[in-house]
Amino acid sequence: MKIAVLLKWVPDLVEELEVDDDGTGLDTEDLKFKLNEFDDHALEEALLLAGDDDEVIALAMGGEGSEKMLFTALAKGATRAIRLTGSSTEGTTGLATAFSQVLEAESCDLILTGVQSVDDRDGQLGPFMASKMGLPCISVVSEVSLSGQTASVMKEYAGGMMAEFEVDLPAVLGIQAARETPRYAPVSKIRQMQQTSTLEEFSITDTGTGSGSTVSGFSQPEGGSGAKMISDIEELAELLNGLGVV
Amino acid sequence: MFSEQERLAFIALIVICSILAWPGFSRMVKIIRSGGPAERSDGLVGRFTKMTIDVMLQKPIFRSRPIASILHAFIFFGFSFYILVNISDLLEAFVDDWTTIDKGPIFGSFNLLADLFSVLVLVGMIGMLFRRFIIKPKVFEFNENVLLHPKVKAGGIRKDSLLVGVFIILHVGSRWVGTALRMAESGQTDAWLPTASLLVPLFNDWSGESIELGIHVTWWLAMGLIVAFIPYFPRSKHIHLMIAPVNLALNRRTNIGELDSVSDPTAPGAKSLLELPWPQLVDPYACIMCTRCHEVCPAHESGTPLSPSALEINKRYLVNNNSGTLVLGEDIELLGNTISGDAVWSCTTCYSCVSICPVGNEPMYDIIEMRRNMVFDSNMPDDLAEVLRSIDEQGNSFGQSNRKRSKWSKELDIEIKDASKEPVDILWFVGDYASFNQSCTDTTRKVAEVLTAAEVDFGIIKKGERNAGNDVRRVGEEGLFESLAEQNIALLETCEFNRIVTTDPHTYNALKNEYPRLGGNYEVVHYSTLLVELLDSGSIELKNSHSGNATFHDPCYLGRYNGIFDAPRSVIERCGLKLVEMPRNRENSFCCGAGGGQIWMKDHDDMKQRPSEMRIEEALSVDVSKFLVACPKDMTMYSDAVKTGGNEDKIAVVDIIDLVHQAMSLDQTEEAEIVED
Repeated sequence: MKIAVLLKWVPDLVEELEVDDDGTGLDTEDLKFKLNEFDDHALEEALLLAGDDDEVIALAMGGEGSEKMLFTALAKGATRAIRLTGSSTEGTTGLATAFSQVLEAESCDLILTGVQSVDDRDGQLGPFMASKMGLPCISVVSEVSLSGQTASVMKEYAGGMMAEFEVDLPAVLGIQAARETPRYAPVSKIRQMQQTSTLEEFSITDTGTGSGSTVSGFSQPEGGSGAKMISDIEELAELLNGLGVV
Repeated sequence: MFSEQERLAFIALIVICSILAWPGFSRMVKIIRSGGPAERSDGLVGRFTKMTIDVMLQKPIFRSRPIASILHAFIFFGFSFYILVNISDLLEAFVDDWTTIDKGPIFGSFNLLADLFSVLVLVGMIGMLFRRFIIKPKVFEFNENVLLHPKVKAGGIRKDSLLVGVFIILHVGSRWVGTALRMAESGQTDAWLPTASLLVPLFNDWSGESIELGIHVTWWLAMGLIVAFIPYFPRSKHIHLMIAPVNLALNRRTNIGELDSVSDPTAPGAKSLLELPWPQLVDPYACIMCTRCHEVCPAHESGTPLSPSALEINKRYLVNNNSGTLVLGEDIELLGNTISGDAVWSCTTCYSCVSICPVGNEPMYDIIEMRRNMVFDSNMPDDLAEVLRSIDEQGNSFGQSNRKRSKWSKELDIEIKDASKEPVDILWFVGDYASFNQSCTDTTRKVAEVLTAAEVDFGIIKKGERNAGNDVRRVGEEGLFESLAEQNIALLETCEFNRIVTTDPHTYNALKNEYPRLGGNYEVVHYSTLLVELLDSGSIELKNSHSGNATFHDPCYLGRYNGIFDAPRSVIERCGLKLVEMPRNRENSFCCGAGGGQIWMKDHDDMKQRPSEMRIEEALSVDVSKFLVACPKDMTMYSDAVKTGGNEDKIAVVDIIDLVHQAMSLDQTEEAEIVED
């Protein structure tokens, strides 16, 4: 079995985010990026699902962070790592197009992606890919088990409701949580991978012009004006009186 | 006096016992030789000379347990002298008419010493047995959750102790009684044999034949027993009398603040027994199973499943019971056989177990080798993995943006120089805890104020300083440690400074001892040392004096690891406080429980009481109201411990910089506080 995992390099929310001069995106000048944590779960689930004869292929767009993400995936136990090069992508649709090009060539049984990312809160990457490739897609998945050419998965709905699905493979799954905490890749093993293994490259062709929507404005959320601590009931009554509520 | 048959029987016994003993000894050597590489062959003459002096003075053993150590010294000196006694006894059997009785003052002195040492050995050995079997000190016990070899659980150590004890008593006792019988034979006592002479009247009624028989029986019990015991030696902990001196002679000579390099980066550390460096395979044979190491171990005392003693003992039982297959290369996995996984992650790397061991064992280094291997296999607690990821991604263990590292300085009225932008005399490497932890940043600011008031030309690296990596290395993450060190060294290369100061002993240890191997050579001082310098030079002027009693907690990485004991004490005393030492101080200081990555991991479920809480109780037992620290992690650990132990109204945790800050009157409100004191 071949399992593909899509890895994305996203802004690290630990840093203070700033809006760029155009007011249409993040100022990435000093911004630190990291692997999307949901993708880390997708990779962990793939590694746990894979048996000795199965292949886990990590995929990432070329550019900053791709080496770190892919060599880390290899250090964790991925069998192959492919870096996508050749064309820049725009938005999640562009990314889905790019990934689908390489996945068409690889013909994988299972494609795992993080359920969402900080720059794709709607979790569109999985569904976009599935529709481009004509595959079934289930998102917000937390448990996966395989049996022959079907997978049975648990999908979470609002309010914590869980539903069990059976899906024919190949399929795209948006992983919310792996069944185990994503493993830590020791730095010396990553360094070792950098010396002993190579990243495969796949050249993508034109990925189109995005989804057709553009960002017209981007801003920091407005801060509240602060809170007043009320110590006793009389003070509260007075305050409400003053506001004319009571 | 011995018949030919007896002489032949004795020679036959030697031959048989040597043949029986051979596999045990040869396998021991083979097992040790199959261990991993380690360099211990430098200056062998010096090593063995120093060891001989130390052993003759019984120095390693007198580090603790004075009464047991005195009993040991009796046995040790007696046994050492008994080498001569045994030679004389052999001559007695094989040389006709050989005797040392009535042969003038030289043989007389020999007899006197043999006589007195016999009694001392008997007193020592009976005392030891009394202690182990009648008094039964708690320190011999293991926490219930400690992994033990089945034979240890079945009472193997007690059995071995009893056998060895009875052997020594019979060996020495028989010789002593035999001497009395020889005097009884001639019908007179000897002033050179005062104690054996006391026994002579016991045999007054014995016939000549009975006495003759008694002499033969006691000789065989003394000399035959020693030969018969030889095959048991390699299986018994009594072999320590041969291996412990060798272990002590071949001990670690490198800087203890620097861990050994990984010998094979593609398979770091040790997964199985024979993957341990060879000196760590000498350890189990040297181990006398005294449990002194777990007596001082903060992890064991707090109830976790770690006992450094059990680790060595399990190793010993494994090499004893699997020597045949081990020499054929059938290795034994360490995890689950010598120690449990959660015990590996309970070690604080405080070094107490190594420094207290009377036979030079290094259980802590086994744990580090195992951690290296486990980390390489991504086998570690989730909370540790989380912190390592933060340190890798953000450069600090708090998972915060590294750009906030110097945020603590924004609240100061003074502007601290940026050492990465302008030259400074002293570069202050602040470290994670002093920078990020809210219970430390007040202290950090006070350091800045004191240094400014003392007109020290200092600066910090406002952007780019990363965790120094001391504890990263000690949890076994070699690669991350090297990456951190390389980044810090590259950053420090861009800075112009003469010395580095830090308040954090862990950072101090890494910069001073671990960085040189990677090309970072700096003069590093701990702030306590710098404060003493500034007090000496008059740059710090103390306007007020504190009063009252206080105690000081020696941080492991400042004291035991780097030998800095006096500087913080000097600061405390010069600030006017009367220093009252806790029972465990200086080299014997008790770890706060934070080191070796413990501060990043949650407490073990079995932990009965945190080491830091025990330490606060220890401080309260010497009746002080101030608990002084010189380490940001100590500030964190003990501030918490005082709260969780409900001792907030009894004792205050104070950093030594607070004392100086107040005594310099850097804050008017503080001056008022001092007067109140």
